[in-house]
Amino acid sequence: MISYRNVAKTFLPAGPPVLSDITFQVETGETVALLGTSGSGKTTLLRLTNRLVDVDAGSIEVDGVSVMDQDPIELRRRIGYVFQGIGLFPHMDIRSNVSIVLRLLGRSASEQQKRSDELLMMVGMPPDEFSGRYPHELSGGQQQRVGVARALAADPEFLLMDEPFGALDAITRDTLQQELLSLKQKLQKTIVFVTHDIFEALTIGDRIAVLNDGRLDQIGTKQEIIRSPATQFVKDLFGRPRAQLEAIDA
Amino acid sequence: MIESWLTFAAGRTAELWVRTGEHLVLTGLSTAGAILLGVPLGVLASKVRTIRNPLMGTVGIFQTIPSLAMLAILLALTKQIGIVPAIIALTLYALLPIVRNTLTGIEQVPPSSLEAARGLGMTLWQTLILVEVPLALPMIIAGVRTAAVVGVGIATLSAFIGAGGLGEFINRGLALSNTQLILLGAIPAALLALIVDGSIGAFQWAVQRRHGRSPLEAIVRWVVRPAALVLPLIISGIGVYAALASRQENADDVVRIASKSFTEQLILGEIVAQTIEHHTDRTVERRFNLGGTMICHEALIAGEVDIYPEYVGTALTAILQLDGTRSAGDALETVRNTYTERFGCIWFDPLGFENTYVLALRKEVALREQLTTISGLASVSNSMRAGFPSEFMERPDGYPGLRRTYGLSFANVRDLDPALMYQALVSGELDVISAFSTDGRIEAYDLALLKDDRSFFPPYQAALVVREDLIAEMPELGPLLRRLTGMIDTETMQQMNYQVDHHQHSPREVARQFLESMGLVKENG
Repeated sequence: MISYRNVAKTFLPAGPPVLSDITFQVETGETVALLGTSGSGKTTLLRLTNRLVDVDAGSIEVDGVSVMDQDPIELRRRIGYVFQGIGLFPHMDIRSNVSIVLRLLGRSASEQQKRSDELLMMVGMPPDEFSGRYPHELSGGQQQRVGVARALAADPEFLLMDEPFGALDAITRDTLQQELLSLKQKLQKTIVFVTHDIFEALTIGDRIAVLNDGRLDQIGTKQEIIRSPATQFVKDLFGRPRAQLEAIDA
Repeated sequence: MIESWLTFAAGRTAELWVRTGEHLVLTGLSTAGAILLGVPLGVLASKVRTIRNPLMGTVGIFQTIPSLAMLAILLALTKQIGIVPAIIALTLYALLPIVRNTLTGIEQVPPSSLEAARGLGMTLWQTLILVEVPLALPMIIAGVRTAAVVGVGIATLSAFIGAGGLGEFINRGLALSNTQLILLGAIPAALLALIVDGSIGAFQWAVQRRHGRSPLEAIVRWVVRPAALVLPLIISGIGVYAALASRQENADDVVRIASKSFTEQLILGEIVAQTIEHHTDRTVERRFNLGGTMICHEALIAGEVDIYPEYVGTALTAILQLDGTRSAGDALETVRNTYTERFGCIWFDPLGFENTYVLALRKEVALREQLTTISGLASVSNSMRAGFPSEFMERPDGYPGLRRTYGLSFANVRDLDPALMYQALVSGELDVISAFSTDGRIEAYDLALLKDDRSFFPPYQAALVVREDLIAEMPELGPLLRRLTGMIDTETMQQMNYQVDHHQHSPREVARQFLESMGLVKENG
């Protein structure tokens, strides 16, 4: 379980807050899609969670312990992270990229290899073919699969995903979303998934948290959000695609 | 031409190998030193903003220090000549490309990789070792490549401080105006630079991270990678061995004789060396061709060499920084007393000749203008073109003082290499040059000399300077070296210089003939 309590963050001294008074919980095994426009603070909230940046006020608890009371290095190793820019290491082959966290944790070479093969298989990339390649030899979709495999390497309970499929073409994105859904089913991880894409949020999230200019406008299941939007912003956000679809149908 | 050079080189293959080996050791050890020092400094500069500019500035300044000055400074600091100061100097020169490329390489690591490293829970150290340095590696290797290739070139200067290497041939060739000798150093040095460039290039290729698809490529890579790592180790091994071996030579009964790097000094050095070899059982170590007055002097007072020939006027003005206008007797007395007090070194009685600066003209010009003195030259100097070597242009006892004393104002004054200067005078492109009075070329070209009628030039008698400690350890050397006192008059010295400069006899041979003719060594003895 991850719980956010009155979380606030300001970057510039005396500047506008990037996040203010954010409170919600991500239940164990649940996926929450953090939906918002760019600049809404959704990536910052993710980065606060594994202490890439620290909160100014309020608290974040992972597994019931405040993250500020945990060693940031250990915390990050316990939480899988999939980066917006993928961030595979260009000088390491795919196997080393996938098993890097295990290496940091001091696991044996044979365990690293076994686990890397398992994970590559799981994300649909046969290790025989891909283990020895380097990131630049893969397509964008393949690289992102490796990014997911890397995040899962140490079998973390929590997974933070920052617009992982943002840079992919629509068809590849759709495929990966479906694969993520089946992985999610199988692995039962607690996931925070950042996206600016409403359909992706609707597909991936068990619940959707809508961030608007640093504030949490609403959190709820898709039915709740679509049927009873809490603010005009949420209403517009989900109203517009519906209006577009109706326009195309007519 | 090429054929005769190849024959010349073939006769010297043994020494060529030794010098090439020394050259590799110098370049290899200094590059290794620069990597060990430069990569951490580059990393530091990339991490600590405040030291970045001062550090890069300092490293840059090393590159601008002229090599001879650098060697002289290091000699004064380390109190040693030979491989140690040479390697320190070369290391300092090699730092800039390595530090700068390390810094640039680390700064070019993609932000996405750094973000990923943090997000996955790497410590700062792990980020550095697992991500930043490996990603900067191609850039770092490129810096090492530059440093090593430039280093092969600069290492030729190590010969000036007695560290050997291919520069030994070049220096000797320059001192003796022997082109074949110069090429014997320069050509292998150029080849070496190409080989070093090529092998580091191959290493660069081998460490490129790519999925090797061709098995041949994988095998080649598998061979090249360790080879490039092992090679520097082997070179370092040889270097350590050579250093240890040369240390053993510094045994008790060794006499180390130095000389500057021009013909006369090489001949005098040989005369001293052969005299000692002939009459005693002592081993003589020749540390000839050192890069100038200051390096010889520093080496002597640091106890790195025991004897070298020096000139009274040079010691007075260049070393002791005293006024040079005094009588010969007074000059010698002053130098002698100061050396005993300050340096623990003895000036022996002069060898018999003076090697002073003189102004020389073509004989027909001297006759036409009826010139015999420098005072006379002053009245016609505004129609004359002069050429002087750069040292003469600078020294207070050279052109600046001369001009003031005599009121000279030449139509044109040029700064020239000594060898070119004579050519230019004889071919009529210059009218006046400064020469050394013992230079064989004065007689060879039949030049007229002008009298220093106001005694501007200090007295320049040549004499041996010897460390007191040496005479204390080997008392028999005192009387032996005194036998050379007054034995070499100016004409004899001129002729010996001419034998070497013009007829290309070796200094060793000329010294031998001189000693035999004087009965100082027995023929075939």
